[in-house]
Amino acid sequence: MRSPAADRRRPTLWDGLLALLVAAAAAALFFFLRPAESNFLTASIVLDGETIGTYDLTGLTEPVTLTVDQADYPLTIRLEPGRVCIGESACPSQDCVHTGWISRAGEQIICLPNRLVISLTGGQQEFDAVTG
Amino acid sequence: MKHRISSLLLTGIFFLCAGCGAPAASGAAEPASLQFFSMDTVMSITAYGEQGQAGVQAAREAVNRLDGLLSRTDPDSQISRLNAHAGDGTAVEVEPDVAELLSFAQSVSQLLPGDFDITIAPVMDAWGFTTEERHVPTEQALSAALALVDSSQLEVDEAASTARLLQAGMEVDLGAVAKGFAAGEAEEALREAGVERATIDLGGNVTVIGTRPDGDPWRVAVKDPRNTDGYLCILELEDVTLSTSGGYERYFEEDGVRYHHIIDPKTGYPADSGLLSVTVVTANHVLADALSTALFVAGPEEALDFWRSRDDFELVLCTDDSRIIVTQGLEDAFQLYDQDGGYTYEIARR
Repeated sequence: MRSPAADRRRPTLWDGLLALLVAAAAAALFFFLRPAESNFLTASIVLDGETIGTYDLTGLTEPVTLTVDQADYPLTIRLEPGRVCIGESACPSQDCVHTGWISRAGEQIICLPNRLVISLTGGQQEFDAVTG
Repeated sequence: MKHRISSLLLTGIFFLCAGCGAPAASGAAEPASLQFFSMDTVMSITAYGEQGQAGVQAAREAVNRLDGLLSRTDPDSQISRLNAHAGDGTAVEVEPDVAELLSFAQSVSQLLPGDFDITIAPVMDAWGFTTEERHVPTEQALSAALALVDSSQLEVDEAASTARLLQAGMEVDLGAVAKGFAAGEAEEALREAGVERATIDLGGNVTVIGTRPDGDPWRVAVKDPRNTDGYLCILELEDVTLSTSGGYERYFEEDGVRYHHIIDPKTGYPADSGLLSVTVVTANHVLADALSTALFVAGPEEALDFWRSRDDFELVLCTDDSRIIVTQGLEDAFQLYDQDGGYTYEIARR
């Protein structure tokens, strides 16, 4: 009894082209599905565990002011190209306002009385953690 | 026909490989991360490897357990019970690890007399740092509060797991050691879960476990106390905790004067020792936490003398005359962040 492989003809040009096409498609998929390593600096605003906004600071062309009225102590967030700060806050400690501008991936502004965290991600992160 | 079918099959397999390949690869590199509020601060735990998710959850549980035991503002905590019984003679039962922590804090008070005291709570209250209604206290209120600060009036019986405050009105606040203690427990939880690479950030108190996924040491930035969008230096480290104390984050201004929250137990006023920040680097989590506060109060000379008397920690000191003093054990790990940052740096040697 002959094996099925013995029935095969020699590979044709079409087989070669098909193999190339498949390889190219696999490579393309691999490229598009690779983990995103964005160079864009993104500010995400999390209020009491819930993300209330994400902003691309690199793509920003002019200043934006956000008012977070739903916080226990309403506050105003200022977004500018490449940086963010809390401009005003009705919270008693004002530690979040004192933090000032942040502009590097890995940095945070925290308003404890509001349980609000603004975090910067993306871009080239120069460090893994910050002490202070 | 047969070869067409096998080609189609091959195509399918290729697509399947391409489709699964990328997420699988990113799954291996993508760490498990968790951010949550506890101990009156924000905590972030990031763990790498297959056990990462289980590890960060276990670490959060460990931290929250301690928050429940150590919080002075939670009336059900063991510390609140200890404070409530101050002066009435009751030896309050505490968990064995809480008794150990109280003893440790007392030992730091003895090592650095006048620079550290966990019974500082009445003075913190007089300044409003506990209630967030911050203000300069009257001299009368301050001296009354200072009279209650004396950790030798705290009796701890580690064998019986009890503690007692001898004077009515005294209060313990573990704010200067709780995060360090929690970092130790969080690291233990992560390691028990099988995690070998992780970072634990408990409100700026940073612990690094193992190395980065690429095998290099972790890079930890030390905040610039004069510009919180800048850094003094980057330290490349493995398997240590870094704790930083400074007066630049929690403060208030009254009549044009700035008052920060690290109180000198000798004066009852914010410490003014010539230091803007102190970073302690050591494998001992709770030592890092306690010493950063105590040495910030002590000042640069005493801090370096104390460092020379021991071999279990290293320091980065930032002085108010714009010097960064780095102890020699960190010489190889240290990189100045910004040459034009306005600081000069020097290496302190034994």
